[in-house]
Amino acid sequence: MEAYLLNLGVLVSIYAILAVTLNFIMGYAGIFSLAHAVFFGVGAYVGAQVGMHFSASLIVTIPAAMAVSAVLSLMLALPALRVRGEYFVAASLGLQMLAVTVFSEWKGMTGGIGGLIGIPAVRMFGEDIYRPAAFFPLAAGAAILVLIVTRLLVRSSLGRSLTAIRDSESAAESFGKNVALIKTISVVVSAALAAVAGVLYANYLSFINVESFTLDTSVLVMAMVIIGGTGTALGPIVGAALLLLLPGMLSYLWFLPQTQIGAIQQIIYGLGMAVLMIFRPGGLVGRSGARRRTRKAGGGK
Amino acid sequence: MTAQALASLSEEVLLEIRGLEKSFGGVKAVSDVSMDLRAGIVTTLVGPNGAGKTTLFNLITGHLTHSGGSVRWLGRDIGGMKPYRIARLGIARTFQDLRLFKDMTVEENILTVMEPGALPFSFTGPSAREKRERVARVMERTGLADKARTRAVDLAYAERKFLSLARIMAAKARLWLLDEPASGLDPNSYATFLRLLREEVAAGVTVCIIEHNLDIVVGSSDRIAFLDRGRLLADGDPKTVLEDPELTKIYFGDRV
Repeated sequence: MEAYLLNLGVLVSIYAILAVTLNFIMGYAGIFSLAHAVFFGVGAYVGAQVGMHFSASLIVTIPAAMAVSAVLSLMLALPALRVRGEYFVAASLGLQMLAVTVFSEWKGMTGGIGGLIGIPAVRMFGEDIYRPAAFFPLAAGAAILVLIVTRLLVRSSLGRSLTAIRDSESAAESFGKNVALIKTISVVVSAALAAVAGVLYANYLSFINVESFTLDTSVLVMAMVIIGGTGTALGPIVGAALLLLLPGMLSYLWFLPQTQIGAIQQIIYGLGMAVLMIFRPGGLVGRSGARRRTRKAGGGK
Repeated sequence: MTAQALASLSEEVLLEIRGLEKSFGGVKAVSDVSMDLRAGIVTTLVGPNGAGKTTLFNLITGHLTHSGGSVRWLGRDIGGMKPYRIARLGIARTFQDLRLFKDMTVEENILTVMEPGALPFSFTGPSAREKRERVARVMERTGLADKARTRAVDLAYAERKFLSLARIMAAKARLWLLDEPASGLDPNSYATFLRLLREEVAAGVTVCIIEHNLDIVVGSSDRIAFLDRGRLLADGDPKTVLEDPELTKIYFGDRV
């Protein structure tokens, strides 16, 4: 039971890193990416390969994964600069599809559909860290660190520039802001930090394959951000916890037919999303005044 | 006023516009416009709706690219440059529809225009304390001090206009392009606006304003440029331009 909860804690921490980093570009730069799982995957594969062939130390694997992810994220930054709104969503979807193909075909790097097995565990203080009890503090610590880094950035001049660009790109430009460069930096930062989640994931499970880095994951992470509260500090973490704990919690409800739990879960998700968007469109943590604000902003000149 | 305007004709030319053209499809929005903006002179652009006033601003700031002619800033051709580069040369503007950073507070709106750099830190710009003091001073002068933490969308109309002005005051530009900064202001707010404008001009800012209210134009400008259908019909001191019966007919023609 305890191991089960700690295991969930690890997964929540890893997904919280993904949600927090996606929120950084969604909530502050207005870049709605459906390709976030790509950088999760890149981080996992690079972390695994470096771990298997060079060193399993996080001091080596994490920087390597972040660097590769940062460079590849320029592929996402390019469409982000040229197209906006729903067009960018479509462009990021394309990148996600492309990545899944590469993940499942490039056997030398990713092990193809079969994936990579035997990824070494993290070694710290002379011990292999793979048991949930030992890994949970590591994953939670990483999530907190990523949260702190993104908060500091949001509160810096970069964060203000991003929000300014989101609110009015032309006004931001006419006060000297290099929109292309600022957006690119935000995408690179987001992707590099998302890679941290990938490294932890690979080390923890010691087995990865393309299934974990598909569009489903991108959609799940985006749902975590939206349900928790886009553009809020803690919303993405609340969203990650809720969406990962819900399936487990349902199985404790004795009156539900256990064989149908999957279908019931989907119904609850669907209903929950619809109700949430009607009553709290800003997300669970978002400002409750979000609706009024939107109406006012729309009505004002 | 006339004497003053004449005296300052010797002033340095900041912006030199020559034969500027802009067409959208077959329509010429700006057609063969030539004019100089000299340091310290308040120029007002007047003309009926659709005369090309805002288009002219957009051509200067790089939000539009001209289809002919040239725009020079201190002798350097800035045609085709990106808006952020032009802004960094010292040209700032406001928008008719304000374009405030709506989800940011008043304080943040002003602060962010002082930080054009892309990095989350800066070694060359003003220090954090200096920025805070400058923000406080600008909020004080524009009457927004007690709204520091209010988000821009939650401001009243006049406050929004002052925030738009506060942003440009904080930007430390040499040339201001103001697009209808006084429209819709009540008399009190209007007086405040005028006072601020005079203070800034006295402090060395050069201003070009688009304005519809002719009383304002006469009271606050050294020079008037009259645009109609993309052409510059007159350019001179306020009295001469406004007393020209031909221009008056064009200007009021669409209203009477």
